[in-house]
Amino acid sequence: MSEHEYASVNEKLDWKKARVIVAGVDVGAVNSKTVILVDGQPYAVSQVATRAPKESALKVMNAALANTGLTQDKIQYTVGTGCGRTQVTFAQKTISEIVCGATGAVHVWGPSVRTVLDAGGQSCRVIHCTDKGKATGFLWNDKCAAGIGRSMEAFADLIKKELTEIGDIALQSEQFPKLSDFCSVYAQSEALDLMRTKVSPEEVITGYHRAMARRISTLVSRAGMKKDFVIIGGLAKNPAIVDALENTLKVHRLAPKPEWDPQVIVAFGAALIANAFHKRQG
Amino acid sequence: MNKEKIFAGIDAGHVRTKAVLVRGKEILGYGSAATGFDAVNAAQEALTRALEAAKVSRDDVAGIVSTGIFRDVVKALPIAVQRTVPEYMADAKGALFLNKNSRTVIDIGANVHKAVHYDKDGNLLDVIQNDKCADGVGIFYTTMAKALGVSEEGLSELALASTKQLSVAIHCAASAESEAIGLLCQGEEAADVADASLRFIVERVAAMASTMPLEQEVVVAGGLAKCKALMKHLPVLLKQDVTLLNLPEYVGAIGAAISYEGEK
Repeated sequence: MSEHEYASVNEKLDWKKARVIVAGVDVGAVNSKTVILVDGQPYAVSQVATRAPKESALKVMNAALANTGLTQDKIQYTVGTGCGRTQVTFAQKTISEIVCGATGAVHVWGPSVRTVLDAGGQSCRVIHCTDKGKATGFLWNDKCAAGIGRSMEAFADLIKKELTEIGDIALQSEQFPKLSDFCSVYAQSEALDLMRTKVSPEEVITGYHRAMARRISTLVSRAGMKKDFVIIGGLAKNPAIVDALENTLKVHRLAPKPEWDPQVIVAFGAALIANAFHKRQG
Repeated sequence: MNKEKIFAGIDAGHVRTKAVLVRGKEILGYGSAATGFDAVNAAQEALTRALEAAKVSRDDVAGIVSTGIFRDVVKALPIAVQRTVPEYMADAKGALFLNKNSRTVIDIGANVHKAVHYDKDGNLLDVIQNDKCADGVGIFYTTMAKALGVSEEGLSELALASTKQLSVAIHCAASAESEAIGLLCQGEEAADVADASLRFIVERVAAMASTMPLEQEVVVAGGLAKCKALMKHLPVLLKQDVTLLNLPEYVGAIGAAISYEGEK
């Protein structure tokens, strides 16, 4: 999955002139991400696939540092988050991805955000927050809805399509078969069986997306929708999922920010929290 | 010159399509292709590969029989399938062909697993198939290999290196995957997580198979039969010896090929 691995640097900033350098490392179930802040400004961002979480944490940090001349000993504070946060051995503190997600989202989209849907590889979470980005409540997916992100990856593999293209394919079809939305295993199995009927690939792919979106929208409805609404995590990049969610929930998400990859918002939140902790240390 | 006719068998599965050429008691060649959205194309590809491997021309094939979930789809031209057989019949015939002492075959496929019991002539006595919740153990295997960053062969080797017995869910592949990822995140060794994931597959298969009397010899078919780590756990959980077949993923295709003649 090397196509999901990248690193980018904000060349406008010079870390050599900076007073405070901090980092957030988000070790997710499928991908690990890092955001490095220089005097509070996003400086370097990276993402790698999660394998052994301990090594992936180091790898994603090294990926962010590469081509910057910056070394890890210059980073004054690191916060680890994500399901593998305890494996970020070089972090001074670990913070839940709920808290980091709210902090990151409010910083990126502004104080009007009240509901954050974090739709990731292995779990989906709905987070409510204040205008300051403080998480006030959350709802986690139940086990049956685990791994929607990863299931979509497996599904794309099975039908020999790219993960990045299936969302667009799913928007091409008006008609679609209704697939099970209780269980991603059922949905996948039903989709495979449908391929032998006269249903076109586009319709099967659309049906699969709608089923996954219904699963997620149930979670959001149960948690309660307070505007403004934003979506972060890998599924935020799938137009068919977003479209179906908006239709079902009858609410539009705030438009994505071109300068921010929705997958690194939690890591960004962790970095912002690292900044605050460093300040408090004095 | 051998006067016996050459028959082709095509097993059009959920994930892979297999083709094999058989003459009498001899397997001449075999090949496979990913099924994807076009089962007909996959069958063409698999058949071409089998013909190339066997160094046989298409015109020398006296008849083609298809089996597998997409057996009716691949009847479409240009393949010219003359006959179809259900998967469990093809499994029984193919397993008996590869091992004449076998009476039960456990077939672990990508999306469906089943056990078939038959007599010495390959007549069906009993069949059992997984319930829907246990669909996709083969796909789960591939997914776990990807999650752990190893190849499908590598997953077996990784699991064999396990030193600690962990456990993931016992009923559902979605839960098992979720728990396996959770264990990794807690810092458990990849080998132990791999082993737990494979034991989950075997537990599901064994739970299904043990609701039916398993008459010896029990043989294992399907692509996952090549996974040594799975085969380590299967006899233990079944409390039965199991025998490996040559070409386990081609059992259905072989059974189809040899079904051309004989009972209609």
